[in-house]
Amino acid sequence: MKEKAREVKLPESGQWPDRIAPVVLGAGIVLSTLGFLLAFLWVGPVYGASVDGVELIGGSMVSQMLLISQKIFYFHMPVAIVSFIALAFAAYYAIRFLMTKEQRFDSCSQVAMEVALLFVICTMITGEMWTRFEWGVWWTWEPRLTTYLILMLIVIAYFILRNAVDEPERSATYSAVISIIALIDVPICFMVTRLIPSSIHPVVLREGGMTADMGICLAVCLLGLLCVGFALYRARFNQLRLSQRVEAMKQTLEEQQ
Amino acid sequence: METPKRPSSFAQYKTLLAKDLRQEFRTREMLVSMGVYALLVIVVFGVALSFARPGEEFLEVSAGLLWALIVFTSLLGLNRSFSHEIEEGCLEGLLLAPLDHGVVFLSKATSNMVFLLIVEAIAIPLYWLFFSSLAHPAETGWLMVAPILVGSVGIAGIGTLLSTITVNTRGKDVMLALLFVPIVFPLLYACVSATTAAIVGGDLMAESFMVSLALAAGYDVIMILASWVLYDFVVGA
Repeated sequence: MKEKAREVKLPESGQWPDRIAPVVLGAGIVLSTLGFLLAFLWVGPVYGASVDGVELIGGSMVSQMLLISQKIFYFHMPVAIVSFIALAFAAYYAIRFLMTKEQRFDSCSQVAMEVALLFVICTMITGEMWTRFEWGVWWTWEPRLTTYLILMLIVIAYFILRNAVDEPERSATYSAVISIIALIDVPICFMVTRLIPSSIHPVVLREGGMTADMGICLAVCLLGLLCVGFALYRARFNQLRLSQRVEAMKQTLEEQQ
Repeated sequence: METPKRPSSFAQYKTLLAKDLRQEFRTREMLVSMGVYALLVIVVFGVALSFARPGEEFLEVSAGLLWALIVFTSLLGLNRSFSHEIEEGCLEGLLLAPLDHGVVFLSKATSNMVFLLIVEAIAIPLYWLFFSSLAHPAETGWLMVAPILVGSVGIAGIGTLLSTITVNTRGKDVMLALLFVPIVFPLLYACVSATTAAIVGGDLMAESFMVSLALAAGYDVIMILASWVLYDFVVGA
Protein backbone atom coordinates (compact mmCIF):
# COMPACT_ATOMS: atom_id res chain seq x y z
CA MET A 1 0.00 0.00 0.00
CA LYS A 2 2.84 2.35 0.84
CA GLU A 3 4.39 1.96 -2.59
CA LYS A 4 1.10 2.82 -4.19
CA ALA A 5 0.81 5.98 -2.17
CA ARG A 6 4.24 7.07 -3.30
CA GLU A 7 3.56 6.59 -7.00
CA VAL A 8 0.31 8.48 -7.20
CA LYS A 9 0.71 9.30 -10.85
CA LEU A 10 0.80 5.75 -12.15
CA PRO A 11 -2.34 4.63 -13.99
CA GLU A 12 -4.30 2.56 -11.51
CA SER A 13 -6.38 -0.52 -12.20
CA GLY A 14 -8.23 -3.23 -10.32
CA GLN A 15 -11.12 -1.47 -8.61
CA TRP A 16 -14.09 -3.27 -7.11
CA PRO A 17 -15.82 -4.00 -10.45
CA ASP A 18 -12.89 -6.22 -11.41
CA ARG A 19 -13.60 -8.46 -8.44
CA ILE A 20 -17.19 -9.08 -9.47
CA ALA A 21 -16.36 -9.30 -13.19
CA PRO A 22 -15.62 -13.08 -13.21
CA VAL A 23 -18.88 -13.76 -11.36
CA VAL A 24 -20.78 -11.55 -13.80
CA LEU A 25 -19.13 -13.33 -16.72
CA GLY A 26 -20.25 -16.67 -15.31
CA ALA A 27 -23.76 -15.37 -14.81
CA GLY A 28 -23.75 -13.96 -18.34
CA ILE A 29 -22.69 -17.28 -19.84
CA VAL A 30 -25.31 -19.20 -17.88
CA LEU A 31 -28.09 -16.73 -18.61
CA SER A 32 -27.45 -16.41 -22.33
CA THR A 33 -27.16 -20.18 -22.71
CA LEU A 34 -30.41 -20.51 -20.78
CA GLY A 35 -31.98 -17.91 -23.03
CA PHE A 36 -30.77 -19.81 -26.09
CA LEU A 37 -32.31 -23.03 -24.84
CA LEU A 38 -35.53 -21.27 -23.82
CA ALA A 39 -35.87 -19.67 -27.23
CA PHE A 40 -35.79 -23.02 -28.99
CA LEU A 41 -37.33 -25.40 -26.49
CA TRP A 42 -39.84 -23.43 -24.50
CA VAL A 43 -41.21 -20.47 -26.43
CA GLY A 44 -43.66 -21.50 -29.12
CA PRO A 45 -43.16 -20.55 -32.75
CA VAL A 46 -44.53 -17.15 -33.66
CA TYR A 47 -46.05 -15.70 -36.77
CA GLY A 48 -43.34 -13.81 -38.56
CA ALA A 49 -43.75 -10.83 -40.83
CA SER A 50 -47.38 -10.05 -41.35
CA VAL A 51 -47.82 -8.39 -44.70
CA ASP A 52 -50.95 -6.75 -45.98
CA GLY A 53 -52.21 -9.60 -48.16
CA VAL A 54 -49.53 -11.39 -50.11
CA GLU A 55 -46.65 -9.21 -51.13
CA LEU A 56 -43.65 -9.65 -53.36
CA ILE A 57 -40.53 -8.85 -51.38
CA GLY A 58 -37.23 -9.25 -53.17
CA GLY A 59 -38.45 -11.87 -55.61
CA SER A 60 -40.39 -14.14 -53.27
CA MET A 61 -44.01 -14.06 -52.18
CA VAL A 62 -44.38 -13.39 -48.48
CA SER A 63 -47.47 -13.58 -46.33
CA GLN A 64 -48.08 -14.64 -42.77
CA MET A 65 -46.18 -17.76 -41.96
CA LEU A 66 -44.75 -19.67 -39.03
CA LEU A 67 -41.08 -18.89 -38.84
CA ILE A 68 -38.24 -20.62 -37.09
CA SER A 69 -36.13 -17.60 -38.06
CA GLN A 70 -38.08 -15.56 -35.55
CA LYS A 71 -35.83 -17.13 -32.90
CA ILE A 72 -33.09 -14.77 -34.06
CA PHE A 73 -35.13 -11.99 -32.53
CA TYR A 74 -34.27 -13.18 -28.99
CA PHE A 75 -30.62 -12.44 -29.68
CA HIS A 76 -30.87 -9.71 -32.22
CA MET A 77 -32.75 -7.26 -30.04
CA PRO A 78 -30.71 -7.74 -26.81
CA VAL A 79 -27.45 -7.48 -28.75
CA ALA A 80 -28.65 -4.27 -30.36
CA ILE A 81 -29.66 -2.85 -26.99
CA VAL A 82 -26.30 -3.74 -25.44
CA SER A 83 -24.45 -2.15 -28.36
CA PHE A 84 -26.39 1.06 -27.90
CA ILE A 85 -25.77 1.09 -24.15
CA ALA A 86 -22.06 0.62 -24.81
CA LEU A 87 -22.13 3.52 -27.24
CA ALA A 88 -23.90 5.71 -24.68
CA PHE A 89 -21.22 4.85 -22.12
CA ALA A 90 -18.50 5.66 -24.64
CA ALA A 91 -20.00 9.11 -25.16
CA TYR A 92 -20.48 9.61 -21.43
CA TYR A 93 -16.84 8.83 -20.71
CA ALA A 94 -15.85 10.99 -23.69
CA ILE A 95 -17.59 13.96 -22.04
CA ARG A 96 -15.89 13.13 -18.75
CA PHE A 97 -12.57 13.00 -20.58
CA LEU A 98 -13.08 16.37 -22.25
CA MET A 99 -13.93 17.87 -18.86
CA THR A 100 -11.02 16.39 -16.90
CA LYS A 101 -8.42 15.42 -19.55
CA GLU A 102 -7.65 12.27 -17.56
CA GLN A 103 -6.24 9.35 -19.49
CA ARG A 104 -8.41 6.98 -17.48
CA PHE A 105 -11.66 8.25 -19.01
CA ASP A 106 -10.21 8.07 -22.48
CA SER A 107 -9.42 4.40 -21.91
CA CYS A 108 -12.96 3.87 -20.58
CA SER A 109 -14.39 5.51 -23.68
CA GLN A 110 -12.16 3.52 -26.01
CA VAL A 111 -12.99 0.19 -24.39
CA ALA A 112 -16.72 0.96 -24.35
CA MET A 113 -16.43 1.73 -28.05
CA GLU A 114 -14.66 -1.59 -28.65
CA VAL A 115 -17.49 -3.43 -26.89
CA ALA A 116 -19.95 -1.38 -28.97
CA LEU A 117 -18.17 -2.41 -32.18
CA LEU A 118 -18.33 -6.08 -31.22
CA PHE A 119 -22.02 -5.92 -30.44
CA VAL A 120 -22.84 -3.78 -33.47
CA ILE A 121 -21.21 -6.39 -35.69
CA CYS A 122 -23.21 -9.12 -33.93
CA THR A 123 -26.35 -7.06 -34.48
CA MET A 124 -25.55 -6.71 -38.17
CA ILE A 125 -24.95 -10.46 -38.55
CA THR A 126 -28.14 -11.49 -36.75
CA GLY A 127 -30.04 -8.74 -38.54
CA GLU A 128 -28.82 -10.00 -41.90
CA MET A 129 -30.02 -13.50 -41.04
CA TRP A 130 -33.37 -12.02 -40.07
CA THR A 131 -33.85 -10.02 -43.26
CA ARG A 132 -32.71 -12.93 -45.39
CA PHE A 133 -35.05 -15.51 -43.92
CA GLU A 134 -37.99 -13.34 -43.03
CA TRP A 135 -38.11 -10.81 -45.82
CA GLY A 136 -36.29 -12.89 -48.40
CA VAL A 137 -33.66 -10.28 -49.24
CA TRP A 138 -30.12 -9.75 -48.01
CA TRP A 139 -30.51 -6.04 -47.60
CA THR A 140 -33.21 -3.40 -47.66
CA TRP A 141 -32.81 0.25 -46.79
CA GLU A 142 -35.14 -0.07 -43.86
CA PRO A 143 -34.68 2.51 -41.03
CA ARG A 144 -33.22 0.12 -38.47
CA LEU A 145 -30.86 -1.54 -40.92
CA THR A 146 -29.70 1.78 -42.33
CA THR A 147 -29.15 3.22 -38.87
CA TYR A 148 -27.05 0.27 -37.79
CA LEU A 149 -25.02 0.34 -40.98
CA ILE A 150 -24.24 4.01 -40.38
CA LEU A 151 -23.49 3.33 -36.73
CA MET A 152 -21.09 0.55 -37.70
CA LEU A 153 -19.35 2.80 -40.22
CA ILE A 154 -18.92 5.57 -37.64
CA VAL A 155 -17.53 3.15 -35.05
CA ILE A 156 -15.08 1.74 -37.59
CA ALA A 157 -14.06 5.27 -38.61
CA TYR A 158 -13.54 6.04 -34.90
CA PHE A 159 -10.91 3.32 -34.60
CA ILE A 160 -9.22 4.27 -37.84
CA LEU A 161 -9.05 7.87 -36.59
CA ARG A 162 -7.60 6.71 -33.27
CA ASN A 163 -4.79 4.97 -35.08
CA ALA A 164 -4.19 7.79 -37.54
CA VAL A 165 -3.13 10.34 -34.92
CA ASP A 166 0.31 9.99 -33.38
CA GLU A 167 0.09 12.19 -30.28
CA PRO A 168 -1.84 10.33 -27.57
CA GLU A 169 -3.41 13.48 -26.10
CA ARG A 170 -4.67 14.67 -29.45
CA SER A 171 -5.89 11.25 -30.49
CA ALA A 172 -7.86 11.00 -27.23
CA THR A 173 -9.51 14.39 -27.73
CA TYR A 174 -10.44 13.70 -31.34
CA SER A 175 -11.89 10.30 -30.55
CA ALA A 176 -13.87 11.77 -27.66
CA VAL A 177 -15.38 14.35 -30.01
CA ILE A 178 -16.24 11.70 -32.58
CA SER A 179 -17.91 9.43 -30.02
CA ILE A 180 -20.08 12.32 -28.82
CA ILE A 181 -21.00 13.21 -32.42
CA ALA A 182 -21.80 9.53 -33.06
CA LEU A 183 -24.22 9.40 -30.16
CA ILE A 184 -25.99 12.53 -31.44
CA ASP A 185 -25.96 11.38 -35.04
CA VAL A 186 -27.36 7.89 -34.67
CA PRO A 187 -30.80 8.78 -33.21
CA ILE A 188 -31.17 11.53 -35.83
CA CYS A 189 -30.33 8.99 -38.48
CA PHE A 190 -33.01 6.65 -37.21
CA MET A 191 -35.58 9.43 -37.01
CA VAL A 192 -34.82 10.78 -40.47
CA THR A 193 -34.98 7.43 -42.22
CA ARG A 194 -38.14 6.56 -40.35
CA LEU A 195 -40.13 9.78 -40.62
CA ILE A 196 -39.59 10.45 -44.30
CA PRO A 197 -42.28 8.59 -46.20
CA SER A 198 -40.90 6.26 -48.79
CA SER A 199 -43.13 5.02 -51.57
CA ILE A 200 -40.73 2.42 -52.90
CA HIS A 201 -40.48 -0.24 -50.20
CA PRO A 202 -43.35 -2.41 -49.02
CA VAL A 203 -44.45 -1.63 -45.51
CA VAL A 204 -43.76 -4.65 -43.36
CA LEU A 205 -45.92 -4.65 -40.27
CA ARG A 206 -44.99 -6.60 -37.20
CA GLU A 207 -47.46 -8.26 -34.93
CA GLY A 208 -47.78 -5.90 -32.01
CA GLY A 209 -47.09 -7.05 -28.46
CA MET A 210 -45.34 -10.05 -27.04
CA THR A 211 -46.70 -12.99 -25.14
CA ALA A 212 -45.45 -13.59 -21.59
CA ASP A 213 -43.11 -16.43 -22.53
CA MET A 214 -41.53 -14.35 -25.29
CA GLY A 215 -40.99 -11.51 -22.85
CA ILE A 216 -39.36 -13.76 -20.25
CA CYS A 217 -37.06 -15.33 -22.82
CA LEU A 218 -36.11 -11.91 -24.15
CA ALA A 219 -35.42 -10.61 -20.65
CA VAL A 220 -33.19 -13.60 -19.85
CA CYS A 221 -31.21 -13.11 -23.04
CA LEU A 222 -30.92 -9.37 -22.47
CA LEU A 223 -29.69 -9.82 -18.92
CA GLY A 224 -27.20 -12.48 -19.98
CA LEU A 225 -25.78 -10.41 -22.80
CA LEU A 226 -25.57 -7.31 -20.60
CA CYS A 227 -23.49 -9.36 -18.15
CA VAL A 228 -21.27 -10.61 -20.96
CA GLY A 229 -20.83 -7.08 -22.25
CA PHE A 230 -19.91 -5.79 -18.80
CA ALA A 231 -17.43 -8.59 -18.19
CA LEU A 232 -15.79 -8.04 -21.58
CA TYR A 233 -15.58 -4.32 -20.84
CA ARG A 234 -13.89 -4.89 -17.49
CA ALA A 235 -11.48 -7.51 -18.81
CA ARG A 236 -10.32 -5.33 -21.68
CA PHE A 237 -10.21 -2.22 -19.51
CA ASN A 238 -8.10 -3.99 -16.93
CA GLN A 239 -5.71 -5.22 -19.59
CA LEU A 240 -5.41 -1.78 -21.16
CA ARG A 241 -4.84 -0.07 -17.83
CA LEU A 242 -2.20 -2.62 -16.82
CA SER A 243 -0.30 -2.09 -20.05
CA GLN A 244 -0.48 1.68 -19.52
CA ARG A 245 0.78 1.13 -16.00
CA VAL A 246 3.72 -0.89 -17.26
CA GLU A 247 4.54 1.86 -19.76
CA ALA A 248 4.37 4.52 -17.03
CA MET A 249 6.60 2.42 -14.76
CA LYS A 250 9.16 1.99 -17.52
CA GLN A 251 9.23 5.73 -18.04
CA THR A 252 9.69 6.50 -14.36
CA LEU A 253 12.50 3.94 -14.17
CA GLU A 254 14.22 5.52 -17.15
CA GLU A 255 13.89 8.94 -15.59
CA GLN A 256 15.36 7.73 -12.33
CA GLN A 257 18.42 6.25 -13.97
CA MET B 1 -3.70 56.80 -21.30
CA GLU B 2 -6.71 54.79 -22.19
CA THR B 3 -6.46 51.10 -22.96
CA PRO B 4 -7.47 50.12 -26.49
CA LYS B 5 -10.98 48.71 -26.68
CA ARG B 6 -11.24 44.99 -27.26
CA PRO B 7 -12.92 44.30 -30.61
CA SER B 8 -16.33 42.67 -30.40
CA SER B 9 -16.82 39.04 -31.39
CA PHE B 10 -18.72 40.15 -34.46
CA ALA B 11 -15.81 42.34 -35.57
CA GLN B 12 -13.45 39.40 -35.08
CA TYR B 13 -15.77 37.19 -37.08
CA LYS B 14 -15.93 39.72 -39.92
CA THR B 15 -12.15 40.08 -39.99
CA LEU B 16 -11.55 36.34 -40.10
CA LEU B 17 -14.19 35.81 -42.75
CA ALA B 18 -12.79 38.67 -44.85
CA LYS B 19 -9.33 37.12 -44.55
CA ASP B 20 -10.56 33.76 -45.86
CA LEU B 21 -12.55 35.30 -48.69
CA ARG B 22 -9.73 37.65 -49.72
CA GLN B 23 -7.23 34.83 -49.76
CA GLU B 24 -9.52 32.71 -51.88
CA PHE B 25 -10.47 35.42 -54.35
CA ARG B 26 -6.81 36.28 -54.86
CA THR B 27 -5.61 32.74 -55.48
CA ARG B 28 -8.90 31.16 -56.64
CA GLU B 29 -7.24 27.91 -55.69
CA MET B 30 -10.19 26.19 -54.04
CA LEU B 31 -12.97 27.50 -56.28
CA VAL B 32 -11.20 26.46 -59.47
CA SER B 33 -10.35 22.98 -58.21
CA MET B 34 -13.85 22.42 -56.83
CA GLY B 35 -15.49 23.72 -60.01
CA VAL B 36 -13.38 21.59 -62.31
CA TYR B 37 -13.91 18.58 -60.06
CA ALA B 38 -17.68 19.11 -60.20
CA LEU B 39 -17.49 19.21 -63.99
CA LEU B 40 -15.50 15.98 -64.01
CA VAL B 41 -18.07 14.28 -61.78
CA ILE B 42 -20.76 15.41 -64.24
CA VAL B 43 -18.74 13.83 -67.06
CA VAL B 44 -18.55 10.58 -65.10
CA PHE B 45 -22.31 10.70 -64.55
CA GLY B 46 -22.69 11.31 -68.27
CA VAL B 47 -20.80 8.10 -69.00
CA ALA B 48 -22.73 6.22 -66.32
CA LEU B 49 -26.06 7.38 -67.74
CA SER B 50 -25.13 7.11 -71.41
CA PHE B 51 -27.36 4.08 -71.90
CA ALA B 52 -30.24 5.35 -69.75
CA ARG B 53 -33.53 5.81 -71.51
CA PRO B 54 -34.90 9.36 -71.47
CA GLY B 55 -38.09 9.65 -69.46
CA GLU B 56 -39.73 10.67 -66.25
CA GLU B 57 -38.02 7.85 -64.31
CA PHE B 58 -34.76 9.74 -64.54
CA LEU B 59 -36.23 12.47 -62.31
CA GLU B 60 -36.40 10.06 -59.38
CA VAL B 61 -32.67 9.38 -59.64
CA SER B 62 -31.46 12.81 -60.63
CA ALA B 63 -31.77 14.43 -57.20
CA GLY B 64 -29.68 11.64 -55.71
CA LEU B 65 -27.01 12.08 -58.37
CA LEU B 66 -27.01 15.82 -57.79
CA TRP B 67 -26.37 15.25 -54.10
CA ALA B 68 -23.60 12.79 -54.87
CA LEU B 69 -22.02 15.57 -56.90
CA ILE B 70 -22.40 18.04 -54.01
CA VAL B 71 -20.97 15.62 -51.44
CA PHE B 72 -17.89 14.77 -53.49
CA THR B 73 -17.23 18.38 -54.38
CA SER B 74 -17.65 19.56 -50.81
CA LEU B 75 -15.27 16.84 -49.58
CA LEU B 76 -12.62 18.25 -51.88
CA GLY B 77 -13.21 21.79 -50.64
CA LEU B 78 -13.27 20.84 -46.96
CA ASN B 79 -10.00 18.99 -47.33
CA ARG B 80 -8.26 22.03 -48.66
CA SER B 81 -9.87 24.56 -46.35
CA PHE B 82 -7.50 23.84 -43.51
CA SER B 83 -4.41 22.65 -45.32
CA HIS B 84 -3.07 26.11 -46.15
CA GLU B 85 -3.80 27.30 -42.64
CA ILE B 86 -1.45 24.58 -41.42
CA GLU B 87 1.16 25.09 -44.14
CA GLU B 88 1.70 28.77 -43.43
CA GLY B 89 1.39 28.36 -39.66
CA CYS B 90 -1.66 30.59 -39.80
CA LEU B 91 -3.69 28.48 -37.41
CA GLU B 92 -1.10 28.83 -34.66
CA GLY B 93 -1.23 32.58 -35.08
CA LEU B 94 -5.00 32.51 -34.81
CA LEU B 95 -4.86 30.44 -31.65
CA LEU B 96 -2.34 32.80 -30.10
CA ALA B 97 -4.62 35.76 -30.68
CA PRO B 98 -7.11 36.46 -27.85
CA LEU B 99 -10.04 35.03 -29.79
CA ASP B 100 -12.93 32.86 -28.78
CA HIS B 101 -12.50 29.57 -30.64
CA GLY B 102 -16.19 29.58 -31.45
CA VAL B 103 -15.56 32.64 -33.62
CA VAL B 104 -12.88 30.75 -35.54
CA PHE B 105 -15.35 27.93 -36.11
CA LEU B 106 -18.14 30.23 -37.28
CA SER B 107 -15.95 32.19 -39.67
CA LYS B 108 -14.41 29.05 -41.13
CA ALA B 109 -17.81 27.40 -41.52
CA THR B 110 -19.19 30.52 -43.20
CA SER B 111 -16.34 30.72 -45.67
CA ASN B 112 -16.68 27.01 -46.45
CA MET B 113 -20.39 27.53 -47.02
CA VAL B 114 -19.80 30.53 -49.28
CA PHE B 115 -17.38 28.55 -51.45
CA LEU B 116 -19.71 25.58 -51.57
CA LEU B 117 -22.64 27.78 -52.59
CA ILE B 118 -20.59 29.49 -55.31
CA VAL B 119 -19.55 26.12 -56.74
CA GLU B 120 -23.13 24.86 -56.54
CA ALA B 121 -24.36 27.98 -58.34
CA ILE B 122 -22.08 26.98 -61.22
CA ALA B 123 -22.41 23.21 -61.05
CA ILE B 124 -26.17 22.83 -60.73
CA PRO B 125 -27.04 24.79 -63.91
CA LEU B 126 -24.34 22.76 -65.68
CA TYR B 127 -25.88 19.57 -64.35
CA TRP B 128 -29.27 20.69 -65.64
CA LEU B 129 -27.76 21.65 -68.99
CA PHE B 130 -26.09 18.29 -69.54
CA PHE B 131 -28.99 16.13 -68.43
CA SER B 132 -32.00 18.20 -69.55
CA SER B 133 -32.29 15.96 -72.60
CA LEU B 134 -33.24 13.04 -70.34
CA ALA B 135 -36.20 14.60 -68.57
CA HIS B 136 -37.71 17.93 -67.57
CA PRO B 137 -38.29 18.73 -63.90
CA ALA B 138 -41.76 19.57 -62.66
CA GLU B 139 -42.90 23.16 -62.19
CA THR B 140 -42.03 22.98 -58.51
CA GLY B 141 -38.41 22.26 -59.44
CA TRP B 142 -37.16 25.68 -58.34
CA LEU B 143 -38.10 24.76 -54.76
CA MET B 144 -34.98 22.59 -54.64
CA VAL B 145 -33.10 25.76 -53.77
CA ALA B 146 -34.37 25.32 -50.20
CA PRO B 147 -32.91 21.82 -49.53
CA ILE B 148 -29.70 22.83 -51.27
CA LEU B 149 -29.32 25.86 -48.98
CA VAL B 150 -30.16 23.86 -45.85
CA GLY B 151 -27.88 21.03 -46.94
CA SER B 152 -24.95 23.35 -47.65
CA VAL B 153 -25.27 24.96 -44.23
CA GLY B 154 -25.16 21.54 -42.56
CA ILE B 155 -22.30 20.24 -44.70
CA ALA B 156 -20.23 23.35 -44.01
CA GLY B 157 -20.97 23.20 -40.26
CA ILE B 158 -20.14 19.60 -39.48
CA GLY B 159 -17.55 19.49 -42.27
CA THR B 160 -15.55 22.30 -40.68
CA LEU B 161 -15.33 20.40 -37.40
CA LEU B 162 -14.33 17.18 -39.15
CA SER B 163 -11.78 18.81 -41.42
CA THR B 164 -10.17 20.46 -38.40
CA ILE B 165 -9.85 17.01 -36.88
CA THR B 166 -8.54 15.27 -39.97
CA VAL B 167 -6.02 17.92 -40.98
CA ASN B 168 -3.74 16.61 -38.22
CA THR B 169 -4.09 12.93 -39.08
CA ARG B 170 -2.17 10.64 -41.34
CA GLY B 171 -3.90 10.11 -44.69
CA LYS B 172 -6.18 13.06 -44.09
CA ASP B 173 -8.13 12.94 -47.36
CA VAL B 174 -9.38 9.42 -46.77
CA MET B 175 -9.91 10.10 -43.09
CA LEU B 176 -12.21 13.03 -43.82
CA ALA B 177 -14.33 10.95 -46.19
CA LEU B 178 -14.50 8.10 -43.68
CA LEU B 179 -15.86 10.37 -40.97
CA PHE B 180 -17.84 12.78 -43.11
CA VAL B 181 -19.99 10.41 -45.15
CA PRO B 182 -21.56 8.40 -42.28
CA ILE B 183 -22.01 11.43 -40.05
CA VAL B 184 -23.64 13.53 -42.74
CA PHE B 185 -25.83 10.61 -43.86
CA PRO B 186 -29.09 11.75 -42.18
CA LEU B 187 -28.78 15.21 -43.69
CA LEU B 188 -28.04 13.74 -47.08
CA TYR B 189 -31.03 11.42 -46.87
CA ALA B 190 -33.39 14.24 -45.92
CA CYS B 191 -32.02 16.56 -48.59
CA VAL B 192 -32.23 13.94 -51.33
CA SER B 193 -35.81 13.27 -50.31
CA ALA B 194 -36.75 16.95 -50.37
CA THR B 195 -34.97 17.58 -53.68
CA THR B 196 -36.58 14.55 -55.29
CA ALA B 197 -39.97 15.75 -54.07
CA ALA B 198 -39.36 19.18 -55.58
CA ILE B 199 -38.16 17.83 -58.93
CA VAL B 200 -40.79 15.13 -59.35
CA GLY B 201 -43.68 17.21 -58.02
CA GLY B 202 -47.20 15.89 -57.65
CA ASP B 203 -48.37 13.82 -54.69
CA LEU B 204 -44.88 12.92 -53.53
CA MET B 205 -44.13 16.62 -53.27
CA ALA B 206 -47.00 17.44 -50.95
CA GLU B 207 -46.26 14.44 -48.78
CA SER B 208 -42.58 14.60 -48.07
CA PHE B 209 -41.11 17.98 -49.01
CA MET B 210 -41.85 19.83 -45.80
CA VAL B 211 -41.13 16.87 -43.52
CA SER B 212 -37.74 16.28 -45.14
CA LEU B 213 -36.85 19.93 -45.10
CA ALA B 214 -37.80 20.28 -41.43
CA LEU B 215 -35.71 17.22 -40.53
CA ALA B 216 -32.73 18.54 -42.48
CA ALA B 217 -33.05 21.90 -40.72
CA GLY B 218 -33.26 20.13 -37.35
CA TYR B 219 -30.08 18.21 -38.16
CA ASP B 220 -28.37 21.50 -39.06
CA VAL B 221 -29.32 23.16 -35.80
CA ILE B 222 -28.30 20.22 -33.59
CA MET B 223 -25.06 19.44 -35.40
CA ILE B 224 -23.90 23.05 -35.68
CA LEU B 225 -24.54 23.61 -31.98
CA ALA B 226 -22.66 20.41 -31.14
CA SER B 227 -19.75 21.32 -33.43
CA TRP B 228 -19.59 24.82 -32.02
CA VAL B 229 -19.32 23.48 -28.47
CA LEU B 230 -16.82 20.75 -29.38
CA TYR B 231 -14.69 22.95 -31.60
CA ASP B 232 -13.00 24.50 -28.62
CA PHE B 233 -11.51 21.12 -27.67
CA VAL B 234 -10.60 20.13 -31.19
CA VAL B 235 -8.77 23.24 -32.31
CA GLY B 236 -6.84 23.52 -29.05
CA ALA B 237 -5.68 19.90 -29.04
